[in-house]
Amino acid sequence: MTSPVIDTPAAGAGAAARAADLWKVYGSGEAQVIALRGVSVELERGRFTAIMGPSGSGKSTLMHCMAGLDSATRGQLAIGDTALNGLGDAGLTRLRREKVGFIFQQFNLLPTLTAEENILLPLAIAGRKPDPQWFKTVIETVGLGDRLHHRPNQLSGGQQQRVACARALVSQPEVIFADEPTGNLDSRSGAEILSFLRRSVTEHGQTIVMVTHDANAASYADRVIFLADGQIVDELREPTADAVLDRIKRLDVVSSPTGGPDGPPGQRTAEDSPAATATGASE
Amino acid sequence: MIKASLRGLLQRKLRLSLAVFAIVLSVAFLAGSLVLSDTLNARFTALFSTINQNVSVVVAAKDPQAVEPARLTDAQLRALSEVDGVKAVSPDVSAQGVIPFRATDGEPVSADAALGFGVDGNDDPLGLVELREGRWPTAEGEVTITAHTAELAKVKRGEQLKVYLPVLNEPRSFTVVGVAGYSGGRDSLAGEVVVMFQQAFAQQTFYGGTGLYGGASFAAEDGVSDDTLKQRIVEKLPAGFKALTGQESSEEQSAQVGVLFDVFKYILIGFAVVAGVVGIFLIFNTFNIIVAQRTRELALLRALGAGWGQVAGSVLLEALIVSLVGATVGLAAGIGVAAAGEAAITSQVELPAAGLVIAPLTVILAYLLGVVVTLIAAFVPAVRASSVPPVAAMRDVVRPDKSLTALSIVGAVFALPGIGLVLLGAFADLGGTAFLVLLGGAVLVFIGALLLSPLLARPIVRGLGALIGRGSAGNLGVRNAARNPRRTAVTAAAIIIGVTVIGMTATVVQSFKTSLEDIMGDNIGVEVMIQANVTAAPDGRQGFNPKALDQVRAIPGVKEAAAWHFDALGVSVAGQPQAFGIFATDVGQASRMFPFDATDGQIRTLAAQELVLDDNIAETLKLKAGDRTPVVIGGVTRDYTVVGVYQATPIIQGILVGEAAVADFPGPLAFQGFVSLNDGVDAAPVVEKIETIMKDYPGVQVGDRQSYVDQATASYDFLLIAVQILLLVALVIALLGILNTLVLSIVERTRELGLVRAVGLSRSGLVWMVTVESVLITVFGVFLGLALGVGLGAAFTKALMTLEFATVIAIPWLELGQYLLAAVVAGVLAAVIPARMAARLNVLDAISYE
Repeated sequence: MTSPVIDTPAAGAGAAARAADLWKVYGSGEAQVIALRGVSVELERGRFTAIMGPSGSGKSTLMHCMAGLDSATRGQLAIGDTALNGLGDAGLTRLRREKVGFIFQQFNLLPTLTAEENILLPLAIAGRKPDPQWFKTVIETVGLGDRLHHRPNQLSGGQQQRVACARALVSQPEVIFADEPTGNLDSRSGAEILSFLRRSVTEHGQTIVMVTHDANAASYADRVIFLADGQIVDELREPTADAVLDRIKRLDVVSSPTGGPDGPPGQRTAEDSPAATATGASE
Repeated sequence: MIKASLRGLLQRKLRLSLAVFAIVLSVAFLAGSLVLSDTLNARFTALFSTINQNVSVVVAAKDPQAVEPARLTDAQLRALSEVDGVKAVSPDVSAQGVIPFRATDGEPVSADAALGFGVDGNDDPLGLVELREGRWPTAEGEVTITAHTAELAKVKRGEQLKVYLPVLNEPRSFTVVGVAGYSGGRDSLAGEVVVMFQQAFAQQTFYGGTGLYGGASFAAEDGVSDDTLKQRIVEKLPAGFKALTGQESSEEQSAQVGVLFDVFKYILIGFAVVAGVVGIFLIFNTFNIIVAQRTRELALLRALGAGWGQVAGSVLLEALIVSLVGATVGLAAGIGVAAAGEAAITSQVELPAAGLVIAPLTVILAYLLGVVVTLIAAFVPAVRASSVPPVAAMRDVVRPDKSLTALSIVGAVFALPGIGLVLLGAFADLGGTAFLVLLGGAVLVFIGALLLSPLLARPIVRGLGALIGRGSAGNLGVRNAARNPRRTAVTAAAIIIGVTVIGMTATVVQSFKTSLEDIMGDNIGVEVMIQANVTAAPDGRQGFNPKALDQVRAIPGVKEAAAWHFDALGVSVAGQPQAFGIFATDVGQASRMFPFDATDGQIRTLAAQELVLDDNIAETLKLKAGDRTPVVIGGVTRDYTVVGVYQATPIIQGILVGEAAVADFPGPLAFQGFVSLNDGVDAAPVVEKIETIMKDYPGVQVGDRQSYVDQATASYDFLLIAVQILLLVALVIALLGILNTLVLSIVERTRELGLVRAVGLSRSGLVWMVTVESVLITVFGVFLGLALGVGLGAAFTKALMTLEFATVIAIPWLELGQYLLAAVVAGVLAAVIPARMAARLNVLDAISYE
C-alpha cells in the first residue's frame, strides 16, 4: 500500500478547513485506542466533501476535531485562517459562532422554539441580525415557508432536518459540518436534504463537509475521502454511487487485518484496537 | 423487587438526600420542640423538688389570685401543726414583686422572680434556707437577704437596702442584718431575688394584719407517709385551702412556670408544620423526577413480569427508607436544637441541671411525622411509576403532559368559594365569627391557588421573563421555565407557601401599626404615656400610686395628667363577666385627651355609680343611656347608671367608671397615666423628668407617643420575626427543590445544551440561561405568594377594621421588596450548582448523548 496521504496542501489560504498530521488517541496504557493516525487533509472552499469509511474508521472523530468540537492529541487544525490549536473554550465558542455550522443526525432542534426561531438561533446568540434577503433565500431553498411558526414536535423528521439545514446555512459560515444528516430519515426525505446541500454549494458557494456511510449520499459530493483505521486511504472526485460502492469494496479488502497500515512504533495495531469503541459516539 | 429498590436507592443517593433533608428539617423542629419543653419541665420539676425536698405536705390558698385570698390565722395554723405525725411546720408569709434597688445607681434589680418573706427569727425548720452571716431580722427596719440578692443589689451586711413593697406601693429603706443561702451552698435556686423581713412586719405589709399566714409547709415524722399526713391534714383544713403532697406541689408549680415557655414550643411546632408541608412538595418532586428518569428501568421490570403493584411498592419502599433515614437524622438534629434552645434559656434563667429528656412519645411522633409526610408525597409518583407501560422498555413512549384543565377546574372549585368566604368575612359585619369565615376562606383560596399555579405559571413566567430574559440566553431560560408549568409550579410551591404566610402577616402587622400611628398622631392630645407592666391580670395591685401624678403636674409645660385604673379581675356588668375589664378615670378629662364620640347620652366626668361604655359592648349588653344595671367590682355589687355610649375606636373602647369606683378595686394603683403638654413643649425632657418620678415603681415605663406605638406593636414584631425565620426555613427547602428540578432539567436537556453550545453560546451564556430559569421559578413563587398573602392580609385587616381594631390597610412595600430580593438571591444560589454542571458539559458528549 502506498502512502494514503493525498492532496498535500499546497497553499492553506484556499482551504476552508484543514488538518495536518492529526492524531487522536483515547485513553492510555492498556485501554489506549488510536482513532486518528496522522491525518492530513484540506477541504476546499466552495466544495461539497464527503468523508466515508467503515464503522470505527475515525470519520466522525476527524469531523469533530476539524469542527473544533473535539481536541486533537497532536497535529495542526485550522478553519479558514484561524488556527484551532491553543484556542480556549471562549475562542472555540467564538469560532463556532462565527465560522462553523452544524447539521446533526438527530436534528437537535430546541423544542421550546419555533422553526423560525430555531433557524435564527445562532444569529441570536451571536447578537447578529439576519440578512433578510439571504434569510428569504434560505427559506425558499429548504422549502419551509408555511411551517416557520410550527414547533419541532409539529414537524416531520424530514421537515425538522430541513430546519436544521436552514439553521446551518443562515449564518453563512466558513464551513458546515454535517454528521450523517440523512441517517435518521427515509430515503425520499434524505434525497431532499442532500439536494438542498448540493444546491447551497453549487448556487451559493457554501463549503460543506459531510460524514456518511451511505454511498448514495456520498455521490452528491464533489469529492469523497475514504478513511480506514484512522488514516485516509483513498479519495474520489466527481463520484457516482457505483464508483463509491466500488471503492468501498476495495477498501474492505485493503483494510483487512493483514493489509493494515503500520502504526508508529509502540502503538498497537488495528487488529487489537477495536476502533469501533473509539468512534462509537458517532454511531 | 426489594433488592432492585435498594440498589436504585444507593445509586440515587444525591437526589434522595435532598428529600431526606426536607424530612430532617421538619422532624428536627418537631423533636426539638418536644424535647425542649420536656427538658424544661424536668428542670422546673427539679427546681421545685429542691424547694420541697423536706416538705411532706403543702397547704395553700385554693385561689391565690383572688381579690381577698384565704389566709390562715394563728389558731388555724396551730391546729394544723398539732395534727398527728407532723414533725415540723414552716409557715408561709410571702409576696411577689418585692424588688430591691441597687445600692450603687438606685435602679431596680432585674430578676425573673423577686420575692419577699416574713421569717420568725429562728432557723428554717425544713432546712432549705441557711443563715451564712449575721442574723435573722427581728425588727421592722431589718432584712436578711440571700447571697444572690446581695450580689445583684451590690449591698453588704450592715448597709442600707431600698426595697419596693408591692402592697404599700412604695419603696422603703432597710438595714441588712444577715445574708443567707440555700442548703448545698447555693446562692439562689433559679436566679431569684429574696428579701426576708421580720414576720409581723411582713404580715402587716403583705396581708394587712398580724397573725395571718398565706399557707404552710409540713414535714412528716418518720414512718408517716406524705399521703397519710395529707389525708390527716385535709380533715382539719379550713375553707378556701387545699393540701398537696410535696411531690404534687412541685408538679403543679413547674407546670405553671412551664407555660411561660410554651411560646417557644409553639413556634418550633409551627416551623415543623411549615417544613413538613413544604417538604411534601420537595419530596413529591424528587420522586417524580426519579420515576421519570427510571421510566425505562421500570418498564423493563414490567416487561419482565413485575405487577404494577410491585412497581408502585418499590417506589413506596424507597420512600419509606428515605423517611426512616430522614426521621432518624431529624431526631438527632432536633435534640441538638433542643440543647441549643435550653442553653439559650438557661443563660437567661438559672435552673438546676437536668439532662435532656427524650420521651418515647417524642421518638414515636418524630418517626410518624417523617413517615407520613414522605408517604403522602411519594404516593402520586408511585402510582405514576406503576402506570409505565412495558413497551417503554423498547422504545420511547411519548407520555404527553396531561392537560391542566382537570387540575384547574378542581383548583377553581376550591378557590372560588374560598374567595367568596374571604370577601364575606372581610366586608360583612359578622362580629367575631368573621375570622373563622375568613380563615376557612383563606385555606380554600390557598389550596385553590396551589392547584391553579400550573395554569398561572406560563403567563406569569413569560410576563416576568419579558423583564429579565433579555438576550438569547435569557430568552432560552425564560422558555425553559415556562415549558413545563407543572414542574415549575410544584418547584415554586415551597416558596408560594412561605411567602403567602409572611406576606399575610406582614400586611396585617403593618396595617395595625399604621392604624395605631394614625390614631395616635391625629386624634389624641396625649404626648407622654406612663404604662405599668404587670405580671398578672391587672387589678390595681400593680402599677403606680396616682398621687405620683401630682409631681408630674408640677413639671413646667405639663397641661394635664390623667391616671387610669384598670381592673380585669372578676368584673361583671349586667350579669355578664367582662374579660376585658373596666377602667376608672376622670372621663371628662379623658374626653379632652381622646376622641370620644357620644352616640347616646353624654360623655362627662362621672359621679359614683355612673358609667359610660362603647357602642359594641352596649349592643352586646343591650344597654342604653339612662339604664340602671348591676356592676360587680372587687367582689362588691352596686347598681350603676349608664350615662353615655361612645363610638369604639381602635384606641378607646371598653367600660369606664369614675375615680370614686377605685375604692372597690382590689388595689389602689393606677395602670396607665396620660400626660398632655402645653403647645410647643418638647416631650423628651418631660419624659425624662417623669421617669425620675416613676423610678420608685419598678415595671412602670414612661415614653412618648412613638414609644407607646412601638410598645403596643412589639408583640406583633416578635410574631413577624418568627414568621420571617419560618420564611427562611421555607426558602432553604425551596432552594433545594429548585436545585433538584434544575439538575433534572439539565440531565434531560443535555442534548439541547450541547446544541446551543455548538451553535455558539458561551459558557457564561449557558450559566445565565440556567440562572434565569431558576430566578424565574423563585420569582414566580414570590409573586403568587405575595399576591395571595397581601390579598388575604388585606382581607383580615378589613375584618379588623369592622371591629375597630384598625383604621387602614397598609401594605409593607419595603419588606415585600426585601422578600422579593431574598427570593432572587435564593434563585441565583440554587442555580449555581446546576449552571456549573451545564457549563462543564463537553459539547461533543452532550450532542451525542443518548
